[in-house]
Amino acid sequence: MYGGGNIFEATVFDDLQAEDPVKLAEFEARIARGEKIEPDDWMPNLYRVQLIRMIEQHAHSEIIGALPEGSWITRAPGFRRKLALMAKVQDEVGHAQLLYSAAETLGKSREQMLTDLINGKSKYSNVFNYPTYTWADACTISWLIDAGAIVNQVANSKGSYGPYCRALERICTEEAFHLKYGHDSMVYLATGTEVQRKMAQEAINRWWGPIMSFFGPPDNVSVHTETLMRWKVKIASNDECRQQFLDMYVPKIWELGLTIPDDKLRKDEATGKWVYTEPDWEEFTRVINGDGPCNAERLAVRRRAEERGAWVRQALLNPKARYVRPLA
Amino acid sequence: MNLQSLDPRVNRLNIPASTMTPMAPKSVLDQFATYEAFIQKKEGAPFTFAGAVHAPNPDVAFLFAKEQYSRRSSCTGIWIVQTAHVKLTPYASDEASIYDSFDIDKPEGVTRPLEPYEVFHQQKRGKAHTHVGRVGATSYEEAYELAKNKFSHLTPVVNVWIIKSKNILQSAEEDKDMWVTTAEKKYREAGAYRVMERIKRFKKEQQRRRSKI
Repeated sequence: MYGGGNIFEATVFDDLQAEDPVKLAEFEARIARGEKIEPDDWMPNLYRVQLIRMIEQHAHSEIIGALPEGSWITRAPGFRRKLALMAKVQDEVGHAQLLYSAAETLGKSREQMLTDLINGKSKYSNVFNYPTYTWADACTISWLIDAGAIVNQVANSKGSYGPYCRALERICTEEAFHLKYGHDSMVYLATGTEVQRKMAQEAINRWWGPIMSFFGPPDNVSVHTETLMRWKVKIASNDECRQQFLDMYVPKIWELGLTIPDDKLRKDEATGKWVYTEPDWEEFTRVINGDGPCNAERLAVRRRAEERGAWVRQALLNPKARYVRPLA
Repeated sequence: MNLQSLDPRVNRLNIPASTMTPMAPKSVLDQFATYEAFIQKKEGAPFTFAGAVHAPNPDVAFLFAKEQYSRRSSCTGIWIVQTAHVKLTPYASDEASIYDSFDIDKPEGVTRPLEPYEVFHQQKRGKAHTHVGRVGATSYEEAYELAKNKFSHLTPVVNVWIIKSKNILQSAEEDKDMWVTTAEKKYREAGAYRVMERIKRFKKEQQRRRSKI
């Protein structure tokens, strides 16, 4: 699981005045009662648009995230690690399939989503625009990026949209293995030789910035955010997720004798909150808009795969088939 | 100039480094029609909705569904149906029964052959539909009526799916051995990774070194 902090943008559908007030009240009452929304229910346009954006970004993050990890399968140390990493990458691509289907129930076809990804119109988790220099980078992704994603996704699984909840339930059961596998790989490096320890430390140093910005910039509290929280589209704020991640994983990094490249990082005992150096949000914005070390490579590789498979899809196409969005 | 990557396999793709022109939009059927998959987790358990797959035909849909939905957990059977072949009711509120609020008129003056239909219930919003049984009817509408008589005691029911049995591709009894997979796949279970001992040993060693200094 790779889904990162979600960035909700204001849309032209933002205007709730245009919605039928009676239906809107029924919809909100249903969510307030703790019931899930299913695809055929009436829903405000803003709900539909933001959910498509969120689930689609999550799906893209799964397939793009599989690219840096997948490139380490042949170079993973030992047969068992190769098998495990292969199983993990296969899981991640499977997660993308589940998520694309969930997004499709809202009315956007999978083909449109894949085209938007390749053309840079849809986003994916920003961390995958950074390179993996050594095996330790792959271990850091498997452990800490997955850990961050789990924090986010556990929050999202309490959301209000039925198909997304069903997909996340399936995804979360598979994630338990990813996290343990990632931790195990990192523990082996950190408790190994001096060279291995150095490799682990350097990877943590490289990835700390991207990990901290993974959860997204602090949410600016707007009417828009409040609406999405009330509709249980957004469950926890980006800062809440970041705090939870620090709480769970900083001690686990420290116990391995590794350091974190942030002099300010400490837990304020009085507030119970972590104090840290604010991530470089300018870099975050620059990279997410296309100017990162690996953006071009990730999309080019995805596009090449898409183009190379075109003849197979063409050959198998059933001329009588018609497209129907998945049911649930 | 080609795109330069740390991954030698990417370099071998010889992708030009220049910015690419946007990819043209594809037809919605570029990756085929959708099929819904149902999984039986163990012998005798009801078939339960797992999710959708995109495929050019039911056989390929079956293979995709097997890969996608039975790879990581036990499975003793799969049913596949094209999405267009599922008829469904509106969704009721939790705790309510859709059978109480939804009726459809049976088509009149049409005589069609008696056929088996499979009935699926969703018990709660957010949960998966499960198979509750079969009725013999001459139309979807009649099948719904019969399902109401036969299964409405199974409450709550927030949504009903009705599918003609002949439209479901079912895994066969004689192909059972396809569900027997290699036993040794512990490496993809969380329980196979136990690092506490290693961490404890490491900490002890660190302490020992420190006390020496």
